[in-house]
Amino acid sequence: MSADAMRPPSRSGPSEWMRRNLFRTWYDTVLTVVFGALALYVLARAIVFVFVDARWEIIEVNLKLLMVGRWPSEELTTIAVAVAMTGLLIGLVAGLVRGRQVRAGTAVRPSIGSRLADLAGRFSLLIGTALLLLALTDTAGPWTMAIATLVAGVVGRLVGGWLGSRFLPRWVTRLGALLIVAIPFVVFFYLNRAVPLAAWEGFFFNITAAMAGILLCFPLGVLLALARRSRLRLLQSMSIVYIEFVRGAPLFVLLLMANVSLEFFVPAAIAPSKVVRAITVFTLFTAAYLAEIVRGGLQSVPRGQEEAATALGLSPFKSMLLIVLPQALRNVIPAQIGQFISLFKDTTLAGLALGILDMLSAAQVITQQPAFRGQGLIIETLVFVGFLFWVGSFTMSRESQRLERKIGVGER
Amino acid sequence: MTTTVRSRPRFYRDVRILTWAFQLLVFAVVAAVGLWLWGNFRRNTASSGIPTSFDFLSNPTTFSIPGADFSPNEPVRNAYIVGLINTLRVSIVGIVFATIVGVLVGIGRLAQNWVVSRLSTVYVELFRNLPLLVLLTFIFLGVVLQFLPAIADSWTPLGWFVFSNRGIGVPWYDGISGWSLVGLVAVGGLGWWLIARWRRKVHERTGRPSRGVLLGGGFFVLALVLGWVALGGGITLPAVDGRQIAGGIRVDPSFFALLIALSVYTASHIAEIVRGAIQAIPKGQSEAAMALALKGFQRMWYVILPQAMRVAIPPLGNQYLNLIKNSSLGAGFAYFELTNVTQVTVGNGSPAVPAFFLTLLFYVVLSLVTSAIVNIANRRFKVVER
Amino acid sequence: MKRIKSLTLLAVMALIFAACTEAADTTTTAGEGDGVGTTVAEGGQESGESLLDVVQDRGVLNCGTRDALPGFAVLDENGEHIGFDSDFCRVIAAAVLGDAEAVEHIDLETADRFTALQSGQIDVLVRNTTWTAGRDGEQGATFLTTTFYDGQGMMVNTGDFESVADMDGVVVCVATGTTTEGNAAAEAARLGLDWEVRPFPDTDLLQEAFIAGQCDGWSSDVSQLTGFRSVYPDGPDALTILPEVFSKEPLAPAVLDGDTAWAQAVDWAILATIQAEELGISSENVDEMLESDDVNVRRFLGQDFEDEEGNITTFDPQLGLPIDFNYQVVSQVGNYGEIFEEHLAPLGLERGVNALWTDGGLMYAPPYRP
Repeated sequence: MSADAMRPPSRSGPSEWMRRNLFRTWYDTVLTVVFGALALYVLARAIVFVFVDARWEIIEVNLKLLMVGRWPSEELTTIAVAVAMTGLLIGLVAGLVRGRQVRAGTAVRPSIGSRLADLAGRFSLLIGTALLLLALTDTAGPWTMAIATLVAGVVGRLVGGWLGSRFLPRWVTRLGALLIVAIPFVVFFYLNRAVPLAAWEGFFFNITAAMAGILLCFPLGVLLALARRSRLRLLQSMSIVYIEFVRGAPLFVLLLMANVSLEFFVPAAIAPSKVVRAITVFTLFTAAYLAEIVRGGLQSVPRGQEEAATALGLSPFKSMLLIVLPQALRNVIPAQIGQFISLFKDTTLAGLALGILDMLSAAQVITQQPAFRGQGLIIETLVFVGFLFWVGSFTMSRESQRLERKIGVGER
Repeated sequence: MTTTVRSRPRFYRDVRILTWAFQLLVFAVVAAVGLWLWGNFRRNTASSGIPTSFDFLSNPTTFSIPGADFSPNEPVRNAYIVGLINTLRVSIVGIVFATIVGVLVGIGRLAQNWVVSRLSTVYVELFRNLPLLVLLTFIFLGVVLQFLPAIADSWTPLGWFVFSNRGIGVPWYDGISGWSLVGLVAVGGLGWWLIARWRRKVHERTGRPSRGVLLGGGFFVLALVLGWVALGGGITLPAVDGRQIAGGIRVDPSFFALLIALSVYTASHIAEIVRGAIQAIPKGQSEAAMALALKGFQRMWYVILPQAMRVAIPPLGNQYLNLIKNSSLGAGFAYFELTNVTQVTVGNGSPAVPAFFLTLLFYVVLSLVTSAIVNIANRRFKVVER
Repeated sequence: MKRIKSLTLLAVMALIFAACTEAADTTTTAGEGDGVGTTVAEGGQESGESLLDVVQDRGVLNCGTRDALPGFAVLDENGEHIGFDSDFCRVIAAAVLGDAEAVEHIDLETADRFTALQSGQIDVLVRNTTWTAGRDGEQGATFLTTTFYDGQGMMVNTGDFESVADMDGVVVCVATGTTTEGNAAAEAARLGLDWEVRPFPDTDLLQEAFIAGQCDGWSSDVSQLTGFRSVYPDGPDALTILPEVFSKEPLAPAVLDGDTAWAQAVDWAILATIQAEELGISSENVDEMLESDDVNVRRFLGQDFEDEEGNITTFDPQLGLPIDFNYQVVSQVGNYGEIFEEHLAPLGLERGVNALWTDGGLMYAPPYRP
């Protein structure tokens, strides 16, 4: 067999490929037949389920409940505006990054067509899912939202690309950075004014809670990481106690505790709503994990960087803030995305622990509606919910792997 | 300017004093927040007359725990112990299952067989990107409740098993006590170890094939079977008796759902770790093994996996920790592990704050113990640097 | 110079960040006014202020209830709470605030209902909760007038069993965190039967398990069983509620211990519905009744009347409630009989022991007079 294995691959087509990859030895043949049959069976069952047996009308009827919960219909435009703003923001940042690369001359410049094809390929699942959701709606609103988001994204990309490729005075770039940081907060206040945070439900809750958790945990997480690495013993031990305690506790139990015992610890006047509680727990929880990620990132920055900074006369504080930390954070972007994915999936726990009507809770609640009770439709709703979470997580993990290759972590 | 005497800096410029002052300041802020929370807690509980001590542990439980020999009159303390045991039970079995499946799938992803590697990839990508709670809900509501038959129509393959949504009957030992069984396993294991050691020495001395696994394992099985028969042990087979499963051992449906969900989910993560660890082994190892004419299985078992497992131990330990913590989700599906016991006892009148504090403490200790074990294993198997 | 600039920038960003997180908190607290936030304004006990004043200042009643018990409290398609218990939340709001809709219905799980009360998340618990001595004492709750006298029963698939005594070697499913579990175990012991009692964290899950055949019996309060039976997917006739009732389950609203003014206010709000039925006042005729000549009716509705000495006067029992609170309760929600007929009769529940004492039942309101 080793003689076979050493022979260069012949180009004799499918039969040779099958011999090499499916029926190389007798046990390969057995594996191929057994697993092939199993896979075909499962695939057939799945296809029959999705296209024939499943009763998707429960999803169609309850699509709004699953997506945004009991968000008032007359306020739905705010969500559309917020999504479009997010599209603008993403476009802007992508454009700026690209523009900077162009200015620095490091950009590879393939044709627009191939770049679009690349994007479409990478996000095909996301785009397909969006189209599927749009197809399930019977109003014009979601379509308008999708088109507006697309337009905003393209505009943002063009503006960002133009700005990024130009040399701008420092105060302009600083102001611009501030504006970009401010956009999420502006969007938040805009949404919160229409419908208070306490009433955010459905998939919208899952997404916003995950985003809020990962953004808000940054200050605490970075501080914890710095404290843990510092030589200040007291700070270090406080940081270690916090990190190890939080990492040793199940998120579900922390959420349950926030549900039943938070009121005892804070004055009634500021006892927060369930959504705020959930986000607080997500933030405090994720901070401990982020701290460990950032610690790894700090360790990955060569000591020479810090020494060089000291040689240039930077204070320890400035060398950390301007030299070490940016590199550390950049190195751990993939790990941070991984943390975000796991938080995104864990937001479903808030439904079970706190009684928030998140998408998974909604999927269970709608099977109790008079029209759908007791018909075993939980399978349909769970498949739908699982699919949406899966598409989100899968796309993000793919992108994170791509970034990892690009940044070159793990290749040094 | 002209002074050359190096005096101590003034206290407000002395780095040592400054850093300590800074640390104490941070500590004071944290302590102040903590005291404030504690004060609120004392005031709020006092004003509504809610107990804050751990006396509730001696109160009667008032609820029953299915699948456990537990009476509602026993103190809450005992319910906690049952909960802890149930957490450990699902975690340990889950860790074993997840490791087996995870390692197989991880190897499968690198298999040359196209079907196997594709299927392994699909498995990993499918389950790694699903929320565990969605998976668990699906398995409990979809698979256990709807796919498994009601007790009256239960499946009894070979007459050895009973599958129904009221539980799964599995053959179990009978006639001898659990301790004698442990003793038998210990005797068999000891014999196996001794034989393996002896054969290894023979092999090293003479070069004859060691066959340690064959002989040792043979002794193990023989000791077990002979001892079993000698002590008058037997097997009980499960059977449907009216509306219950009698004989054998009954796997609780909630336990089953939680176990499957935890194993399947964690296995997908373990598979990725195993794959990464195998890929981290230099190609030369595999080529050297091939040069020694080791077959595929031998290459994997004797050369690649032992090295890969060393790399994989720390991240595997993390996954085990996650599995233990994730077992708390059993609370949502009527499995009486630690979290469920806490939730139910709080619903029945135990004070929430001490009850949950105790639970949290259990988990943290459990995590610390697990990481300690993982660290020991890591040190034990670490590559000895030359 | 540069350092100052970058530091200022950092400070500004930190400030914005701090402001945003802080503002996020305050806006949610403000949200309670719109009836969306579930924030708490307990605090009263500390300053010696009664919850009654707190609720009246706040303008909204936080009422602990549930969302999926047919007849007692369910969410309709508009997200409104409908049911017997939900109406008693409205009764309290009508009495205390003069507006039956000024209620924040807060859905609680069985397991966290007392914690919600203890922690001040809710002002009153109206979530078909059995009044027991232990809960009155240990849980720091004060139970008020019983709104529904219930008892625990057993529901089975029709044809499986004729009586509880037949059920040997069966699985009985119950919801956790209730008195039900203990009662079921005690009943099995009394009858010498072998039951495996399976507790479920919520009734939705229990129902799924029951439909799938995990349970032979479903034990709970008869009113609850009747509710679930009425909406059972295979139709009510597929299920039978066995004739035996094996416990006393007086379902009553509860408030936190140590606040007499609030407890009395809530109690008299509940009693208003019973009193109104005794006096023959309903939401239909309450406006005509304002013109009634009956002193008792006039006093009850807060109208002026002629006392023993012949003075024209009105009666204010000093409960801290508006003088016309009975009128508000009856006109905006209804009397006890109306509430019962609207929500419980459709399930097939009889008045039985919940009839007025004048009809041989247990519903009895203390006299409304000086």
